[in-house]
Amino acid sequence: MDLNTIFFGGLALLSFAVFFYLGKMKASKSQTEREDRIDWSGRKFSFRSCITIALAFFLILYFLNFFILS
Amino acid sequence: MSKHQALDTFGRSGNPVFGNKFDGDAQFRDLPVAQKMTLDGTVNKTGILLSLCFATAAISWNIPNPALMGFGAIGGLILALITMFRPTSAGMTAPLYAASQGLFLGGITVMFESQFPGIAIQAIGLTFGTLASLLVCYKTGIIKPTENFRLMIVSATAGIGLLYIVNIGMLLFGGGEGIGFIHSNGIMGIGFSLFVVGIAALNLVLDFDFIEQGSENGLPKHMEWFGAFSLMVTLVWLYLEILRLLAKLRSN
Repeated sequence: MDLNTIFFGGLALLSFAVFFYLGKMKASKSQTEREDRIDWSGRKFSFRSCITIALAFFLILYFLNFFILS
Repeated sequence: MSKHQALDTFGRSGNPVFGNKFDGDAQFRDLPVAQKMTLDGTVNKTGILLSLCFATAAISWNIPNPALMGFGAIGGLILALITMFRPTSAGMTAPLYAASQGLFLGGITVMFESQFPGIAIQAIGLTFGTLASLLVCYKTGIIKPTENFRLMIVSATAGIGLLYIVNIGMLLFGGGEGIGFIHSNGIMGIGFSLFVVGIAALNLVLDFDFIEQGSENGLPKHMEWFGAFSLMVTLVWLYLEILRLLAKLRSN
């Protein structure tokens, strides 16, 4: 077994352990007791603004491509 | 007036995908405790999905076959769409999704591994390392997701998705090399991959918040499968992007 496998395999195993241990614990109060949490019921999420920003991201990346190629 | 300026400018969503899966106390207050979503249950179900994914990935790693990969990729896409629109069926579709994605990932990993030996374990280690470190940041409150955070991450994800769709369209319908720089191993190509890895990783924070709030609000039990499924989708995407990034770095 080479060093690459030992290091990254160890990292994966350690991360698994952290995920299974910490994932089952409640988040800290600074995370759960705040006013600006995400409202997952969908009442606040704006689909139109999401599409607008997504299109902006897309156009920036798309035109960046032509600048790079030219 | 909302404190989120974008919401005031553009208005509120009526999209069913982001809609009312999740309406706190009113709908689910009367559910018995045993039928409510918990953190414990969601983490265990994520473990089941990961095991299924690894098991089928081992099959296509040992028997690399393009048909098996194609079946996994297309089957996974269909199952993901079904799960997104019908979360009540997640108990059945999420394990099938994980198994089919395993078939796809095993095949694609063996292709990368044959070109760059050792890349698979690096990508696996970095993917789960990212998962664990972001979980620590979320649980301790270092990263605090807000509505604007969600808006930016979902929009960036949609923008990247659109770019990939256009790229596939250009490749299929004679656009030459597609959108060149996203495949290049130059500084821009690597920068683009880093950006995509960053967005994919931040999607994990949204998944953690969804799961945390779902268990706080006592959503129905089947949402444990849905939470585990959303984590799997993000992990699969993150793994693929890390694999591409490492390949670009090593081909220089």
